[in-house]
Amino acid sequence: MLLRHNGCVRVSGGFCLVTAWFGLVNGWRLLGIVLGASGVHELGHYLALRLLGASCGRLRLGVLGAVLESDGGRLSYGRELVCVLAGPGANLLCALLLTAAGRGAWEVMTGANLVLCGFNLLPLRPLDGGRALYLAVSWLAGPAAGETAARWAGALTGTLLGTAVVWLMKCTGGSLWLLPTAVAAYFLAVREVFGKQEFL
Amino acid sequence: MTSRQAGKRLSSVAKDQKIRSARRGRTGKRKEPLPPKERGQLIRLVICGGIFVLFVGAKLALPAKMESFNARLSELLSSNMDVQAVFSAVGRGFSGDTDNAAEEVYQAVFHPEEARETAAALPMPQETPALDMLREYENTAPIGETQPEEQPAEAQTAEEQAPQAEISTLAYVLYSDKNLPEDVSMEQAILDFDYCTPVCGVLSSSFGYREHPLEGEERFHYGVDLAADTGTAVSCFADGTVTVVGESSSYGKYCIVTHAGGYATLYAHCSRITVASGAKVSRGEKIAEVGETGMATGPHLHFELHQDGVYLNPIYYVAPA
Repeated sequence: MLLRHNGCVRVSGGFCLVTAWFGLVNGWRLLGIVLGASGVHELGHYLALRLLGASCGRLRLGVLGAVLESDGGRLSYGRELVCVLAGPGANLLCALLLTAAGRGAWEVMTGANLVLCGFNLLPLRPLDGGRALYLAVSWLAGPAAGETAARWAGALTGTLLGTAVVWLMKCTGGSLWLLPTAVAAYFLAVREVFGKQEFL
Repeated sequence: MTSRQAGKRLSSVAKDQKIRSARRGRTGKRKEPLPPKERGQLIRLVICGGIFVLFVGAKLALPAKMESFNARLSELLSSNMDVQAVFSAVGRGFSGDTDNAAEEVYQAVFHPEEARETAAALPMPQETPALDMLREYENTAPIGETQPEEQPAEAQTAEEQAPQAEISTLAYVLYSDKNLPEDVSMEQAILDFDYCTPVCGVLSSSFGYREHPLEGEERFHYGVDLAADTGTAVSCFADGTVTVVGESSSYGKYCIVTHAGGYATLYAHCSRITVASGAKVSRGEKIAEVGETGMATGPHLHFELHQDGVYLNPIYYVAPA
């Protein structure tokens, strides 16, 4: 279910559920840190898009995190790739700044930024890694090759991610707040294999 | 008159037909396929309703099974990896504060403090482990025999200690209805190095089972709590190397110092850690400041003593105020 807020942010029920669940289990301070890192990530995308002349659309908040809609299609492959990688790049930059400024005092925030950066670089659409892979291969070998590469990588990554998360839940004897992520990963893997070409 | 009556009849028949056709129209509309969005919502509603009915039915028909399912589910919901410790380890690995970030992440994911405490809090089988432990004690050699000859001035001699250790464990097993968690020893080990009390504070919680101050349930407390004001200097227990400086949701800001002979000490809930990972520290050196970070109800130092992964009772080696 999607709720509308001010027309520019769409918050899904899944996002609310996962956020509240994460906050209850891991503490609200940690939730704040993760949301802060997500904010930095989206800010990275937003600034890159604006700098390269594309306009931003809605911000959709779902189970796998935030997705910034844009008319990035008007940009060239190279420029869009920069915009896509600007999110993880912003997290990396933030981690570097926190390490340099805090001298180890803000290691939880640094870690959150790095984990978010790494997670988003997984080659599974709509994560940045998947989109970046599609763009990079399309740039080099054409959109059909890009689509094929993104599909295979996405299906494989989605399956592996889902399995890894399920395994993690089994090994830790809980961590059930990861369950929506596992379901979403499997769903995305299936969508990569069977979905229509223009689903993104 | 007749014609008027006939007219009335005709008009009423026409009305009936209109109503019927309208009804037909409505029923006809209902048979038309729903738009995909509405159909999706309807399917969700049916699934949710089905799950609800299923669970209510199961609770009524199989109350005992549902009870155990409930217990299992709450257990699953309560055990959790320590995400904060994961982030902390990743952050420290990135800044170069620690060399074994991967190991620390593994520790935070698979062996978080909460999981171990929950496991210890679970009801254990009543008799057998206690008897096994007693049998084990019969077979093990007194610890004094394996210890080196030279002892520090404040430690007692091996001959005096061995029976005392047995007595303390026996007392624990015999006079308490709880069994010791696997990785705990009530023995008083003989430390072959000099040591000191890390904080001169009041003993607010001792080693052993206690009612958890925040969770309310009975859990094993793996260290001693020494209450002192925030900012009070925490001195290092003995000479050693700082191996971990971290932050977790339960311990708050903490550090671990490794000493000679496989011993390690942990200092938790600190407001500040003043040493870096890898630093060589000496006995009595300031390594942290007392605080109430993590799961704490007031400023205190949570002090643990480990020997090769086994939790020892630190009370034998500290002198509370």
